[in-house]
Amino acid sequence: MSIPARLLQMLLTLAALSLVFYLLLGLMPGDPIDLALTADPRLTAADAERLRALHGLDRPLWARYLSWAGAVLRGDFGYSRLFARPVLALIGPALLSSLALLGLALGLAVLAGVGLGVLAALRPRLGPAVQGLAALAQAMPGFWLGILLIILFAVTLGWLPAGGAAEGGEPRWPFLVLPVATLAFGHMAAYARHALSAMRGAMADPWIRTARARGASEGRVALRHALPNAAVPLITLLGLDAGSLVSGAVITETLFARPGMGKLIFDAVMGNDYNLALVALLLVAGVTMLGNLAADLGQRALDPRLA
Amino acid sequence: MRLWLGLFLLGVVLVSALLADTAGSWLGLDPWAPDLFARYAPPSATHPLGTDDLGRDVALRLLHGARVSLAVGVGAALMGAVLGTLAGMLAAWRGGLADAVLMRLADALLALPALPLLIILSALDPAMLGLPRGEAASDVLRVALILAIFGWVGVARLARAAAMSVLAMDFIRAARALGVPEGRLLLRHVLPALLGPVAVATALAVGGAILAESALSFLGLGIAPPAASWGNMLAGAQEAVFQAPLVALWPGLAILLTVLGCNLVADGLRR
Amino acid sequence: MAVRGGAGLLAVLALLAGPATAQPRETLTIGITQYPSTLHPNIENMAAKSYVLGFTRRPLTAYDPNWALVCLQCETLPSIENGLAVREATPDGRPGLRLTYRLREGLKWGDGTPITAEDLLFAWQAGREDATGFGPAEFYRSAYELRVIDPRTIEMRLDRVTFDFASMGDFQPLPAHLERAVWQADPRAYRTRTLYDTAPTNPGLWSGPYRVSGVQPGAGITLARNPAWSGLAPQFREIRIRTVENTTALEAQLLSGQIDMIAGELGLPVEQAAALERRARGRFHVEYRPGLIYEHMDTNLDNPVLADRRVRQALLLATDRARIVAQLFDGRQTVAHGPVNPLDRMADPAIRQYPYDPARAAALLEEAGWRPGPDGIRRNEQGARLVLDLMTTAGNRSREQVQQVVAAMWRQAGIEARIRNEPPRVFFAETLSRRRHQGLAMYAWISAPEAVPRSSLHSDEIPSAARNFSGQNYPGFRNAEMDRLLEALPTTLDAEARRPLWARLQAIYAEELPSLPLWFRQDAHVWPLWLEGVRPTGHLNPTSLWAEEWRSR
Repeated sequence: MSIPARLLQMLLTLAALSLVFYLLLGLMPGDPIDLALTADPRLTAADAERLRALHGLDRPLWARYLSWAGAVLRGDFGYSRLFARPVLALIGPALLSSLALLGLALGLAVLAGVGLGVLAALRPRLGPAVQGLAALAQAMPGFWLGILLIILFAVTLGWLPAGGAAEGGEPRWPFLVLPVATLAFGHMAAYARHALSAMRGAMADPWIRTARARGASEGRVALRHALPNAAVPLITLLGLDAGSLVSGAVITETLFARPGMGKLIFDAVMGNDYNLALVALLLVAGVTMLGNLAADLGQRALDPRLA
Repeated sequence: MRLWLGLFLLGVVLVSALLADTAGSWLGLDPWAPDLFARYAPPSATHPLGTDDLGRDVALRLLHGARVSLAVGVGAALMGAVLGTLAGMLAAWRGGLADAVLMRLADALLALPALPLLIILSALDPAMLGLPRGEAASDVLRVALILAIFGWVGVARLARAAAMSVLAMDFIRAARALGVPEGRLLLRHVLPALLGPVAVATALAVGGAILAESALSFLGLGIAPPAASWGNMLAGAQEAVFQAPLVALWPGLAILLTVLGCNLVADGLRR
Repeated sequence: MAVRGGAGLLAVLALLAGPATAQPRETLTIGITQYPSTLHPNIENMAAKSYVLGFTRRPLTAYDPNWALVCLQCETLPSIENGLAVREATPDGRPGLRLTYRLREGLKWGDGTPITAEDLLFAWQAGREDATGFGPAEFYRSAYELRVIDPRTIEMRLDRVTFDFASMGDFQPLPAHLERAVWQADPRAYRTRTLYDTAPTNPGLWSGPYRVSGVQPGAGITLARNPAWSGLAPQFREIRIRTVENTTALEAQLLSGQIDMIAGELGLPVEQAAALERRARGRFHVEYRPGLIYEHMDTNLDNPVLADRRVRQALLLATDRARIVAQLFDGRQTVAHGPVNPLDRMADPAIRQYPYDPARAAALLEEAGWRPGPDGIRRNEQGARLVLDLMTTAGNRSREQVQQVVAAMWRQAGIEARIRNEPPRVFFAETLSRRRHQGLAMYAWISAPEAVPRSSLHSDEIPSAARNFSGQNYPGFRNAEMDRLLEALPTTLDAEARRPLWARLQAIYAEELPSLPLWFRQDAHVWPLWLEGVRPTGHLNPTSLWAEEWRSR
């Protein structure tokens, strides 16, 4: 499919998803006013009825969806109930913060994973150790690792903050170390395993054997010839990983109380903040799909056979 | 080798789950009865792994947690396997529109971030699914169902690929020419060929579902107390990491080893 | 100490470098567990907002740390005796009141504009209009007239007479010079366009010793000194309020020095604070303040088992509340004997109490026809087992713990408790408010000093489909004498005349037990040893309303 066709398909999917999300959110028991009632003993039943009508919550779900969709098409994404701000004003900084976390974690995961994979391919004796590490990383519940890291580095040693984000002129990196490490560790596994098997496959290629026969050093063979070949499946994996990285961000951001898209989505869903939850979910889905598309394109660019 | 190591790990978990009740009566301990005078007791002869926030034996609760975690994991994976096999077979057999619709759906689900959606689905009212609210068994079923909604995709893709290759074989064409009914064809010839790949995917899915359950329980959306699941034990222990860090260690370790077991089995089967 | 609240590594190095220099601290970082959804004083109430607004704006009146009503922005509390409150009839002939409030001299908004009667008039006008979307609007329905007498004085007419008439609650000046135009443009859109949310750092919005200087949505709010504040000069140049929902993470941040103190209003559960106090001995000051949050178990009197008063009493006698408080909460909750906090001036110390007494519980159950069965659970004549649902809010760990312990205690008494929990939104919105709970429902009421529990005890307040499920008398309690007391109490202006009514109310409650009292929660305030002058209140008016008194050593 051509790129414009893919983009069109994405938009249609997003439109369909918006309906599904809206219905699911609307079907959750209780509405924002119910939540307000539990927090404020002075709110009477009459107040609740008045506020419901004011917020349009007394209208049927489909009517609310249509007016929401209409407003979005006019460029009005509405207000967040939880943070009392326009939704878009909230999403910008959260997205940046999440992208910093995800970008660093992904970069670290790929570097460490591919590094370990290549190392294991070059030094077969290290193979089992790398594979064992990858297997552990894959089976490790991310939030458990996070808890252990907090106990060790924040509580016992006091080297790093246990959570939160930098304020004012504070340096940002100390707040990123533990979340990035937590998120990267689990994702490293897949890259290590794929890099290892791809490298093994590539190193066995007749073409590589020729290079070796020409007297190229083992390291040079690996980096110059085998790695580019092994990169194609890795890029597919990169695309597929986007979704699970976002899932990981929900847990990591919640655990480390770090502002970002994941925490925003969790708070918005739990707080019945429909406008915010919807836009955040759709944005995350859109970014994930774009990630997939980019991986596809990258794959084609690297592997002429797919073009 | 991997297969055996994996099977060994899973075997240990399975035996623990089966022995949970026996072990309780053998040790003379009740994993549900709070003992307020023995909160966060360190490991001892009576409590080999110590006690939790209500003075209950952690080891016994781990064993009971194995039941819940296995039930959720296996339940979700089996539901996903059945759904996925059916969807994959249907797509390969009917082709055309059915194939396109199912595979686009699978693509979309695969591309979407699962956890945010799981959070919404978990926040729905179980009463809407016709399940009684607030009971452990319905919690397990609910979580397994929700996880299966995402779990079938991987299976479906594998099953479709395998079914396509079988359906393209000569003997199928020959059988069709002989007038063998399609249902029989699918059941007798296609389904058996799918079992291998589906088994691998299912083993992986068990591990994935156990991880997902623990994440949901950690966020307070999974299995609710007093039922013991590794996820909710961890969520509870997490609130007392300073008082009793060891309590947070065991459930995490149990999850780690079980998921490791599943992945090893899947790996072993694949070879 | 520029590194306070900074990277943990630097904080550790600073600690290693020896005690901090003696100069007073410039900043204070406070952790709370909730983020305020809006900063507008009248839209959506939540504890986090009250806490932040405590620093940044002052209401007309508030209850002080001794639970006495005081003027904050007014000069004198109106009373019948001082003539600022006058009984009169409303235009339609009902008993009403005329109140006069005079603002203190020299009050200014943060931009230097004086705070005047116009600001009160605007607040009243906005509240009277339904479309504005203020939260509780009972006050605005009752205050049917407000007139500006002079730039500092207003006169207000209420269409009812209640003993707490002088308490203005959330009614307070709003900056008319900034907000009136926004509101007039479109009252319906005011709640999203108010400057409190669109431009919260505008100094003109704030009237407290501090003003909002920065907002990080979901993460924190930064406050700076308000130069226009005319009261006692506050000490800190900057106060940072950080939101960390997870109390473990909150504690970790405290221990690593990222935050200096944890607010009691929205902080650590008492048992966690007690553990912290033991572990980090000498690093923090922990102050426990008994509060007005009343944990209890509502019955459902439509359930024939619970309709028998002896069963309700037996349930309470079989619950060893003292031991639960001692073991689960480190002794830091106040066992309740009724809905009135012992610290309230209307509490009756002679109220009937139900200490743990399994023998008495067993006798009552026998009397009610429940005899021990073969499986340890009691049965009645028809052979039905004594099984009761015990519900609470799923995800509230402390309640879930209590519930499991209570279930075990009841089992000892031959009662089976079936635990069925629901997430708060289902529990409150679908189950309790429609009286769908079959057995007992454990949750808490938040109240104010001497608040009359009409909505939870009057028979008119039993939720039903016919009444559109309004009211909070979830047990379905009907008692003619209680109804009369609840009607007489608010209109009895003389405090001493109310005392016997309150005593009778508490006596009926303790005898009939429409709900089983558990305890009043305590707040655990954690602050650094160098901080002085914090006075926890224990009620809805937060500690921060007196933040200008906070000093560092």
